[in-house]
Amino acid sequence: MAESLCRVLRDGALEGELAPALTIKDSILSPLGPHIFDHVLCQLSSFILAGKSQSRGLVLVAFSRSPSYYAALLKSRGSDTTDFDKWFWILDCYSDPLGWRHRLKESGAIRSCPDSSSGVTVCRDVRNLDKLLVEILELGKGLVGQGKDQFCIAIDSVTEMLRDVPLSSAAGLLSSVRSHEQVSCTLWTMLADVHSTSTVAAVEYLSSIVASVEGVTQQKGAQLGISDGLPLLQQNASQGRFRVRFKRRNGRVRLMLEDIHVEKSGITFLPVSSEEESMAQTLIPKVQFNLQLSEKEQMDRLKVVLPFEHQEKEKARRIYDGRRSLMDGQNGMTVEAEKPPVSENSGSGEIVYIRDSDDERPDSDEDPDDDLDI
Amino acid sequence: MATTTRPRTSSFSRNPLAGPTSQVPGLKPGPNGSVFISSGIPDLDRILGGGFCLGSLVMVMEDPEAPHHMLLLRNFMAQGLVHNQPLLYASPAKDPKGFLGTLPNPISSKDEKPRDHAAEQDKGLRIAWQYKKYFGENQQGHDSRDAKHEYCNDFDLRKPLERQFLGGKNIICVSTIDLTLETFRERCRTFLAQNSRNNGVMACASRIAIQSFCAPQCGYFDKHSEASKKSSLVPQFVKFIQLLPLRYLGVDHLGLLLSFQDWDMLAFIKSLKGIVQSSNSVAIITLKQFQACEHFLLSICIALPLTSNEDKELAKLLTGYQEMVGLLSIHKVARINTQVPLVLEASTFSIKLHKRRSLVLECLNQAPIDGSTGASYGTSGSCSGSTKQGALDF
Amino acid sequence: MDRSSQLLDEALGIVDDTSSMVSSSFPSSSVVLIEDCVETSGAFVIHHILKRSLSPPSSAAVVLVSLSHPFSHYDRILRKLVHTFALSLSFVLFSQGCNLAAHRDNRRFFFCDMLMVDFPRQGQGNVSKGGLIELYAKIQKVVEDISSSFGSGKCITIILDDFSLIEVAANGSLNHSLDFLRYCYALTSEFGLGLLVHTSCGGVYPLPSIQGCSLVILHHEDIYSAEESAALILQMEYLADVVIKAEPLATGLAADVHGQLTVLNKGIHDQLRSSKSKVHNFHFKLRENGVECFYPGTQA
Repeated sequence: MAESLCRVLRDGALEGELAPALTIKDSILSPLGPHIFDHVLCQLSSFILAGKSQSRGLVLVAFSRSPSYYAALLKSRGSDTTDFDKWFWILDCYSDPLGWRHRLKESGAIRSCPDSSSGVTVCRDVRNLDKLLVEILELGKGLVGQGKDQFCIAIDSVTEMLRDVPLSSAAGLLSSVRSHEQVSCTLWTMLADVHSTSTVAAVEYLSSIVASVEGVTQQKGAQLGISDGLPLLQQNASQGRFRVRFKRRNGRVRLMLEDIHVEKSGITFLPVSSEEESMAQTLIPKVQFNLQLSEKEQMDRLKVVLPFEHQEKEKARRIYDGRRSLMDGQNGMTVEAEKPPVSENSGSGEIVYIRDSDDERPDSDEDPDDDLDI
Repeated sequence: MATTTRPRTSSFSRNPLAGPTSQVPGLKPGPNGSVFISSGIPDLDRILGGGFCLGSLVMVMEDPEAPHHMLLLRNFMAQGLVHNQPLLYASPAKDPKGFLGTLPNPISSKDEKPRDHAAEQDKGLRIAWQYKKYFGENQQGHDSRDAKHEYCNDFDLRKPLERQFLGGKNIICVSTIDLTLETFRERCRTFLAQNSRNNGVMACASRIAIQSFCAPQCGYFDKHSEASKKSSLVPQFVKFIQLLPLRYLGVDHLGLLLSFQDWDMLAFIKSLKGIVQSSNSVAIITLKQFQACEHFLLSICIALPLTSNEDKELAKLLTGYQEMVGLLSIHKVARINTQVPLVLEASTFSIKLHKRRSLVLECLNQAPIDGSTGASYGTSGSCSGSTKQGALDF
Repeated sequence: MDRSSQLLDEALGIVDDTSSMVSSSFPSSSVVLIEDCVETSGAFVIHHILKRSLSPPSSAAVVLVSLSHPFSHYDRILRKLVHTFALSLSFVLFSQGCNLAAHRDNRRFFFCDMLMVDFPRQGQGNVSKGGLIELYAKIQKVVEDISSSFGSGKCITIILDDFSLIEVAANGSLNHSLDFLRYCYALTSEFGLGLLVHTSCGGVYPLPSIQGCSLVILHHEDIYSAEESAALILQMEYLADVVIKAEPLATGLAADVHGQLTVLNKGIHDQLRSSKSKVHNFHFKLRENGVECFYPGTQA
């Protein structure tokens, strides 16, 4: 499922549509959001490097971790570092977000101060979102050029951004980033505990995919005593439940659930463990009848000869399918393509049975009018 | 800053305070190079392991219904005056000097007759102290109390402090009515700086007593309260000051706390703490509380009404209830120069009057608990304050 | 001696690396948050970390930003702390207490005395920012000095004692104190950078071993009763790699047990060193010469 998430981001935006936006939401009890962010970032960058994705470059707005961290991360995941700055640029809102160090350095109080270098641009006033927006877009255009090529934008912590500015302007930034024509996709993380529910809802509203990390224990919470608290806390720090909600183009919403484990080598996504599944199954209320047929039952069902199909044994079964003239012309026919009953005793009553097409299962959900072209 | 500049030659250097203190009345060397001064209540000194450490800031939470904090304040101030220590007293009254007239007089140690050797006292307590060892031999029974008698006096609450103690030049009374925090801070700073200059290194320990710091009539109150009408700050405020001081006493009170204090007051207390710490003095601050705020009770105060109307239920639970004046609970005793906390025998003590004139603190004697009521009136553990509150229902 | 503080070391992730004489005994570029309350002080963890960082085998430098105690307070405590470490299994070396004044002269220990510094404040509403920026400048200056005089490989531990007073200095502004914290946090990934690699196109990228300062913060948890202020604690906990909570025993005070510690070590998901997250819970008893940690009920 994590792959499908990355695929959606890879495929990017359609012409005239908003770019897909991923919100990764975690909480203090299961703080795995950054790991997922790293994972997605690495996937995206490998797509970009391989030329598989819509976007040609990536702009990372680093609020919560240092540029060097990300450089090291991408390198360790096997990205080629030689020409990072051709496709990857970091807007550094981490080292000197408020310009303190710049000012201090100018006044001579300190000696070192982060400077923009190749691949990294330092932002010294994160409160000025207009400037931030312009800067992000400029960097992106610098990577892919002014033309039709697109780039993606990753913001590593909306939480940090929201601390400095009111929600409305932060939301404005996010949505204008999304709607920019050269933006292929966007992603960001947020720490849900810190914000009010309305803030979380607003950010979720702005995104097309919401991935939230929950503790494994939250599901079972009710069954556990307080004494188990510590091991669970420990468990939550390395694994969790990953719940993703896709808002699709056509308006449908798809929900998915996976287990995640953070290990030495990185993060792994596993289908929800079978134990959980069986538990989920037992939760379905017991019904007196089956809603579906098993395969064998379906086979048996096919073999049943209905009374009105039944004719004398030695004769081939012939069921009128409405295309008599055609059949006649072909002459030789198989048993399966039944012939219409030739009336021997015309004058007596006759049942004409038209069998429905076999390819559709009974009780299927498919729309019978699917193929209608209106 | 002053402490950091103290030269340290070897790791076994003695505290420079340790030497002279044996000669200076009113100071007592404590563990880890700390120096104690007396709180003016012998029992409190004993409970705290010797008294207030020099450099500590003592917070006293007032009981709005009973002026028990005044008892502590009076004894603290009187003790300082008896030892001829400089004193700064700040209060929201118009004429704070008048308060000095209500200070209690020390009880003569040996017999019950009041001190009459005034001439001797004029020369200071040093003379009496020198004779102490002879007295000690003659005294029977209470030599332990007598040995530190000069360090800590018993005070007779019924008798006003004799005039000769009030004659010292080092008494400053400040009214906080028209004071801003800035000037207040400066007053404290200059007071302490003066005294440490006048009296050499360690001749005297200064005392600062600030009464009703958060009282609404204080000059700085209105100005600042406007800015911080947010009630959410209040628990923070109280918590902060609880953590700031080196020592913290909660005088029995109803836990009716609420004061629209803001960060300026906190900053004042913080800087006062810094000043006090560096100038080897002790400041005691009483704080008023106005309005009930439930979640304070959980963490701060043990509230027991012992004022006018008698509580039958309490009387059943606590023996000796009739003699009690109030309760005192100690919430925090921070220690200087050591990381080992002081474990008190109990955190709540009853305040009683001995022979109707001197203050005594005793552990609560708990009557056997009636099984049906269930509520434990344990003497230790301030965390049980909430349950008490619930059971008492006042 | 005994395994008195071994539990605490383990929980903190301090390893005595005796095989390789690596200087670092305290994990670098980590953030340790100590939360305590009125009933139980967590200051002893700071003393312990001070001790471990300054005595061999560690060679780290320490910057102590003190807002609550004078130098003499730490000095006296640290002198009494005794710490043992084993060079090999058979040979145990006792190291006597640690002399902060001497370390200060050696320029391994830096004491920023903020006790008497009054942070300037302007009128209401307009939070003066000068104070904390200056404090930050002070810290960074010291860090710069250390890394220029000892070389960039030096481990530096910055200790903030305590953060609630930073808030007072910020005049209660949550955002402003968090800004300060954020700047301090940025130091953990900056100084003492390991090797720098010059890439062909001119960009400079460090090797994955990002070595920065480590940051130790003491904070009082129970000053926040109001819901909204909990955000600060939450954000601090989120930033921290190790969260230590000092609490009183549920049963109240006891003479033999001074409290309990809960240590949540989130583990370092570094590319080089990676450790699994762990939660420890144990009781402690403070002594003059150290802290004794034990699991509940296992005290001899």
